[in-house]
Amino acid sequence: MSDMTTTSAGPAYNLSRQAREAENVLDHITDRFDDNPQAMAYFYELFRRVYCQGEALPRQGTLVGTTCIHAPEELIYAMGATPVRLCNGSYHYDQIGADFMPAKSCSLVKATLGMLGSENAIPRVGKLDLVVNPTTCDQKKKAGAMIEGMGYSVHDLELPPAKESEESRLYWQRSVRQFALRLGRLTGNKLTRKGLKAAMARTAHAQAAFRTLHNLRKSSPALFLGKDAFLVTNAFFFDDIERWTEAVEKLNAELAERQKNGFQAAQRKAPRILFTGSPPIFPNLKLPLLIEEAGGVVVADETCSANRMLYDMTAVDEWRVNDMVDGLADRYLKPCTCPIFTRNDDRQRRLLELAASFNADGVVYQAFSGCQVYEMEQRSIAEALNARRIPMLYIETDYSPDDMGQLSTRIEAFLESIKARKRKRA
Amino acid sequence: MSRLRTAVNNLNLRRLRFWLQLGFFALLVYGGYFAINLGNNLPTFACGFNQEGRGGVCFLLPLQHLMAMNWKALFGYAGIGVLTAFLWFALWFFVLNKAWCGYACPLGTIQDWITALRTRLGIRYARYSQAQFRALTPIKYVLLALTILIPLAIGGGLLPHTMGTPFCDICPGRMVIPLFTGDASQLTIDFSSKTAMVMTALGMLVTGLFFTGAFIKKRFFCFFCPMSALHYLFSKPALLKLKKDGDKCTRCGDCYRVCDMEIKEIADEVNEPRIMQDDCILCLKCVAACPEDGALKATFAGIPIYESTEQGFIKRMHKGNTSERHDHD
Repeated sequence: MSDMTTTSAGPAYNLSRQAREAENVLDHITDRFDDNPQAMAYFYELFRRVYCQGEALPRQGTLVGTTCIHAPEELIYAMGATPVRLCNGSYHYDQIGADFMPAKSCSLVKATLGMLGSENAIPRVGKLDLVVNPTTCDQKKKAGAMIEGMGYSVHDLELPPAKESEESRLYWQRSVRQFALRLGRLTGNKLTRKGLKAAMARTAHAQAAFRTLHNLRKSSPALFLGKDAFLVTNAFFFDDIERWTEAVEKLNAELAERQKNGFQAAQRKAPRILFTGSPPIFPNLKLPLLIEEAGGVVVADETCSANRMLYDMTAVDEWRVNDMVDGLADRYLKPCTCPIFTRNDDRQRRLLELAASFNADGVVYQAFSGCQVYEMEQRSIAEALNARRIPMLYIETDYSPDDMGQLSTRIEAFLESIKARKRKRA
Repeated sequence: MSRLRTAVNNLNLRRLRFWLQLGFFALLVYGGYFAINLGNNLPTFACGFNQEGRGGVCFLLPLQHLMAMNWKALFGYAGIGVLTAFLWFALWFFVLNKAWCGYACPLGTIQDWITALRTRLGIRYARYSQAQFRALTPIKYVLLALTILIPLAIGGGLLPHTMGTPFCDICPGRMVIPLFTGDASQLTIDFSSKTAMVMTALGMLVTGLFFTGAFIKKRFFCFFCPMSALHYLFSKPALLKLKKDGDKCTRCGDCYRVCDMEIKEIADEVNEPRIMQDDCILCLKCVAACPEDGALKATFAGIPIYESTEQGFIKRMHKGNTSERHDHD
């Protein structure tokens, strides 16, 4: 497959096209909005270096790529390896990846394949020693073998299709233990109590920082915008975890200061939007940006590039390797609201809870065209929200910029209707 | 007030519980030496066979004695005595609910100590499968029924008097708790009659099972405890309650993870606020392990006294990269 990746144009052209896309979005994020928090400079700079200048990420030791949030990163860290999330948001790679997948399939999967199949791909994650591919949706499942076909070594981390039953829980626990063994063979290291505990504490520390940031978004009027929040969680995909945590804590401190001073990053009456569905991944921050340019503010999300990735924390009863590994397995399965599972009660309840606690005025539901599971859940989610009188805008889109004009009209109308409702209520 | 509440919710429950259990153990096993007597109707295994040290007596002992009365007396004037005894039991129970199991029961505490020993030795625990779990649940009710029916049959002359306290005969508490005051006299087989021999031999066997079981399975005996079954029958009006706000629950399963009694409902049930199940020992470990603000809480007479909080969870679960704070007390 590698012959098709870069033959049509030289790497220089590709790099520039990819970089131009990233640069456009970054400029958009930084320049078209006032009042960006100063602490965001770290993240803007990070994305600029990695995505626009193509700077290689500094990596040591074994590098493990993950294609989904279900791969327990604590295990990877505990084995002395470094995880990097491969899910890609670039339209450029989406087009390259189109060769692997049927016409109507998920942009995210295509872009990830396109990125992995390209030489000198951005972000320059380094040589991957292993790609962990949790068997989630059909498209990701089938992508595993394709990634293997590109010459990568792939571990299919078997995820059950349901999560309620005890059987599925035990199956998944075994699956995670198998993964730990595979990592052991790969790195030559053994999973120790101390190592795993330290790795779990590091992740928990990052999660605590995320939760603080998350809670600060409950503040009304908003202290900062959702486009920045997405950028922060997106950086977690590839940034050094400790540096990331530190940067988030700095941002939290600045936002807490803003809160004290009564700062407003958006208008008092700006519609507060809860974002759900297919994950916005840089540079595809199309929808959040459109929402916030139209005067809305994304105050919370239920997506696997942000909230779902970092929110749920692991509990352990006995701090020994077996209980820690099983505890991790539980944390990566039980609370997950991914639509690939049979039922979606948890997702409905989660959205209702988020809408209530973040005082959201409406929900924007993004489904990447071809992502059947999100498309199929649209109806039940809309019904659950409407029963509580929360309006929802369903948007089917992909990475292409072609529909921007049409989408911006729809979003503006949606926000306008929310404002009208609010006026009527007031 | 809110500062106090935060401090309480941030408690290191594991440590608090260790000391409370130790305190109750001292009270119920050694209280007698300090002339403490909480009466004969305690809703916990304050073993009556611990003659000198006992600070009160387990209700199951007088219950069996009373039930073994002649039927004429039992259903006549003496019935009032039975009712009074039961009322005392109910009064004690209404205060703490099943926290008698999680905090006060000496036999429960001994099991937790055995668990602490196991973890220190680095040995992993065993869990039941859900099918096994479901099969176990009725056993304690059967034991409770027998604990009442056998003495009743004796009173009616249907069974020999040597079976007067059938549950005590097989209860590991009778053999284990007196040991703590240096009394090993219960650790014998009674050859005075055939029934006594069988029952006490059974008791020895159960005690052996108690020690081996508790070593591999957290709170092994509690799954079979007839006192636990009796508790549950009267638990609804109790003052101390475990409540769940299903809307706030993400069903992450953290509570189920740490539950010694493997109660799956604690994680999965999101509609019923009264979440306490029959096996629950109200140890409140689930509340301490819940990262969602106010999803689980213990209330006393309707007032929340201990609530799950994000801050408390983070404090308890992970202190930082180098911390070794979470080793067992």
